Amino acid sequence: MSVTAVLHSEWIKIRSVRASFGSLLAVHAATLAVTLLVYATVGRAEADNGNDPVFGAFYAINFAQIAALAFGATAVSSEYAGGALRISLSAVPRRGLFYAAKTAIVATAALAVGLATAFTTFLVGQAFLGEYAIGLGEPGALRACIGAGIYLMLMALLAAGLTFLLRSAVLVLSLLIPFLLIVSFVIGDVAGGAAAYLPDRAGQQVLYQTPAGDIGPWTGLAVTALWAAAVLLAGGRAVHRRDV
Amino acid sequence: MTSIDVKDLTKEYGSTRAVDRLTCTVEPGRVTGFLGPNGAGKSTTMRLVLGLDRPTSGTATVGGHPYTALREPLRTVGALLDAQAAHDSRTARDHLRLLAVSNRLPARRVDEVLQETGLAAVARRRIRTFSLGMRQRLGIATALLGDPPVLLLDEPANGLDPEGIVWIRHLLRRLAREGRTVLVSSHLMNETAAFADHLVVLGRGRLLADTPTQDFIEQHSHPRVRVRTSDPTRLRATLLAKGYTVAEDDDGRWVVEDARAEQIGAVAAREGIPVLELTDERASLEQAYLALTTDEAEFAAAAPASPTIPQEA
Repeated sequence: MSVTAVLHSEWIKIRSVRASFGSLLAVHAATLAVTLLVYATVGRAEADNGNDPVFGAFYAINFAQIAALAFGATAVSSEYAGGALRISLSAVPRRGLFYAAKTAIVATAALAVGLATAFTTFLVGQAFLGEYAIGLGEPGALRACIGAGIYLMLMALLAAGLTFLLRSAVLVLSLLIPFLLIVSFVIGDVAGGAAAYLPDRAGQQVLYQTPAGDIGPWTGLAVTALWAAAVLLAGGRAVHRRDV
Repeated sequence: MTSIDVKDLTKEYGSTRAVDRLTCTVEPGRVTGFLGPNGAGKSTTMRLVLGLDRPTSGTATVGGHPYTALREPLRTVGALLDAQAAHDSRTARDHLRLLAVSNRLPARRVDEVLQETGLAAVARRRIRTFSLGMRQRLGIATALLGDPPVLLLDEPANGLDPEGIVWIRHLLRRLAREGRTVLVSSHLMNETAAFADHLVVLGRGRLLADTPTQDFIEQHSHPRVRVRTSDPTRLRATLLAKGYTVAEDDDGRWVVEDARAEQIGAVAAREGIPVLELTDERASLEQAYLALTTDEAEFAAAAPASPTIPQEA
C-alpha cells in the first residue's frame, strides 16, 4: 500500500471530524486568548516578582496542553465511534501501517500547531510587558519556544496512545486532565524526587531559563517522550492483537 | 476469477465456538445467500474473511490471498458490515473520499457511487442526520467504491424501504451478472430467495448446507399437490386407497402430501374423476430453511411456528 495515500487519508479523517480538528485549532486559539487576557492585564505586575522570566512567558501553555490532549484523544476515538475502525482496517488491513500513519499525522499536526502556538504566545505576551519584555535572544527563550512545541506534540501523542488502549476519549480525558491539574500538582509539591519524572513536570523543564531540579531541559523532554513512547507501544500492541 | 475460500475456519470467544470448522467456497458470477439464525456465525465469518478478527484456526482467503495481504484491498473486496459504522460527524462525501484516497481510487468513484446509491443530493450532509435507510445506502456505496470483484454484504436490505429493497435486489443480480462474487447475509428468507442463486446455511457456526437455492428448497420441503374436483368423495377414496395423505383445505380444495401433479393427474384420469384445478405447490425458502434449522436454533424462543403458514407477500 502507498504510505503517502494512507497518510493523506488520515489527515482527511482529522480534518473532517469537528471534535478533532476543532481541538487542534483550540490549541492555538485558547493559548492566544489566555495570553491576551493575562498579559494585557496583570502581565507587568507579575513580571517583576523575581520568577524565571522565560517560564513566566509560557503561562498559557497550561491551557494549550489541555487542548493538545483533547486533540490526541479525539483524533483516535473517532475510530471507536460505532464500528469505524472496522471500515478503516478494511481499507488499510496492515495494522502496523494504519497505526503508524495515524500516529504520524497526530504528531505532525500537533507539532506544527504546537510550535506556532509556542512562538505566538511568547511574542504576543512579551509585547505587553514593556520594560520587562524579553526577546527570543534571551538565554533559553528560543529553546523554550521549540521545546514547548515538542512538549505539546508529546502530550497529544500520550493522549492518542492511551485512547488506542482504552478506546474512549471521555475516559482518557477524564484520567489525564485531572492528573495534570491536580495529581501532578499536588504530588509534585509533596513527593519531590520521583514526581519530577511525571510526564508534564519533566517536559516542562524545557520552559525554564534555569531548570530547578536535577533534570535538564532536553532530558526532561526526553523523559516525556519516553512516557509517550511507552503508551504508544502499548496502544500499538492492543491494536495489533485485538479483534475489531 | 476471484472466489472466497474458507477452510476449516474456527473462531472461539472464550468457551463459545462462534464458527466451527467451516469450509466453503463462494464462487463468482452468482449471488450466494448466507443464511442462519441469530448467532449462527455469519457476521463473525465475514469479519474473519476481512482479517478484522483473528481465526482460532483455519484460513479464509480471497482470490487465494489472505485479505490482509491484499495491496489495495478496496479494489478487490467491498464490504458492508454495519450500517452504523461510519463516523456520525463526517459528511457522506468525506467518508467516501478518505477511503478512496487511502486505496488510491480515482476521486470520480466517490461521485459515481453516491450517484448510484441515490445519495448524491445528501452527499454534503453529516451522517448523523441520515435515516437508517440512507446509512444503509452509504454502506453499500462504501462497498462499491473500489469497483471490486468481490462483495461481502451483511444484511444489506436492513432499514431500506420497499423501493430500496427492489433496488438492492436488482443491484445484487446485476453485480453477479457482471461476474462478481457476491455474498449476502440475510435473515429475510423470501427476500433472499428473490436474489440468491446459491445458499450457504450456518447453524451454531457449522455448515448446514452449501447448495443451489432451488435444490435446497426441494431437499428440505415435501412436494404437495392442491387439487379441486367436482367429485371430492371419489377422489378422496381413490387417493386414500393409493396410500396418499389427503386433507381438505379451507377453500374446498384437496391437499395431497408427498405427491406431484403428474401423479395425481394420472390417477384422476385413470379413474375418470373430473379435475377442475391441479397445481404443484412450491415450498418457500422460508419453509425449507425452517425445516432445516428448527433443530439447530440456538434459542428456543426463535423456534419457528408450523411450516404450513402461508408465505408472506
